[in-house]
Amino acid sequence: MSTLELYSPTDLNDALRFIEHDGRNAAVIASGTDLLPRMRRRQISPSVLVDISSFTEDLRYIRQAEGTVRLGALTTVTDLLESPLFSGKLSIIREASMLFGAPQVRNVATVGGNICSAASSEDLIPVFMALGASLKLVSAKGERTIPLKDFIVGKRETAMKPSEILAEVSFSPPVGHSWTAYEKLGRRNMLILAIVNEALSVTLEDDLRTIRSARVALNRVSGKIPALAAKTNDFLQGKRVSDQTIARAQKVLASELSLTSDFRGSGEYRTEVAQVYLRRLMERCVRQIGGPS
Amino acid sequence: MAKRAITVNVNGTEHPLQVDAPDRLIDVLRDQLNLKSVKEGCSTGDCGICAVLVDGKLVNSCLMLAAQCDGRRVTTLEGLLEDPTMKRMQGSFIANNAAQCGFCTPAMLMASWDLARHSPKPSVEEIKVAISGILCRCTGYYQIIDSVREGCERGER
Repeated sequence: MSTLELYSPTDLNDALRFIEHDGRNAAVIASGTDLLPRMRRRQISPSVLVDISSFTEDLRYIRQAEGTVRLGALTTVTDLLESPLFSGKLSIIREASMLFGAPQVRNVATVGGNICSAASSEDLIPVFMALGASLKLVSAKGERTIPLKDFIVGKRETAMKPSEILAEVSFSPPVGHSWTAYEKLGRRNMLILAIVNEALSVTLEDDLRTIRSARVALNRVSGKIPALAAKTNDFLQGKRVSDQTIARAQKVLASELSLTSDFRGSGEYRTEVAQVYLRRLMERCVRQIGGPS
Repeated sequence: MAKRAITVNVNGTEHPLQVDAPDRLIDVLRDQLNLKSVKEGCSTGDCGICAVLVDGKLVNSCLMLAAQCDGRRVTTLEGLLEDPTMKRMQGSFIANNAAQCGFCTPAMLMASWDLARHSPKPSVEEIKVAISGILCRCTGYYQIIDSVREGCERGER
């Protein structure tokens, strides 16, 4: 790391101008909780770090207006835990934040950093996918919005250009007969990367029996890539809530997962856990909504 | 490569420092300011042994660049030695034999002090969460949890 340079831009526009020209060998650093260990392990070796951690006035906020929740990319996980917004139908964010790293990590780790790391170890990605979140990417030339599900294109690969910075995560909170829930399995409760984490957002029709829509997302769907379980979600849509529906959805989920083994757990074990979690999440949500018991 | 001049308030004193881009907060605290209560364990944010307070928030000093601390306030155990809550917490750790090898003790004390500040009478569950980012490989967690509970409760009287 001896040749590493650090660029501390004066403001966001300065940062964007810098990466417009030198983005290829640069890495944008916020808190560094993921970037610095990866540099230390020589998994990445940028020649310059562009430090955006001080732009908290522009990029650290939690807002709700006109039915949309907007999170600045520099919002920390502790900010999420301390926000009164994430209760009720949005308690999924609180649940995931409580199981995220440990206090020292939560105090600095950012929402934007978690998403841009784009790995199966990033607990917030399935949560925001289940919520149908979109991302605002900014560059010196303008801005664009992209659904999170299209943003992650591979293991630690995103649709972001070297000249772009993630500025905001936004989503519409679930409305009507809906609920959200989250489950995470690790070797211990805290300070652990997940073997499986799974998030669900489900909405029932007015009859409280028929599934209007369901979004299940996992930290791994194919290989080590976090994604929505698209086939499972398609299957669930329009079905009546029942043990039989859940049992069939579990089979669909198992068939669409293509999981590899590593020291944390085997692919087979992960697939088993993902199915158990699907039922657990579904039952928790339906109970909260007041559907079939 | 030019060094960068920064000023960090460490334990109440403004320190003008010269740092290289890759220097982490822990490097500056240990090597330039000789604050050896800050231990280096895993260097990857997995063990929490390097925990300090930055602007009053507990952080891992191995995961923060020194340059990112320019103009900020850093507190290590050395800066809290005369603090009444820290003195009570240390007394409680001693009384409960909460230090075995002692390597995690400074970080445990920092996390415990941070907890005591916010909750004068924490539940065991709250204590477990507060120290969850710090690994004790002697696994003397019960003694530590007892110590934190007593250290916090004494603070209430």
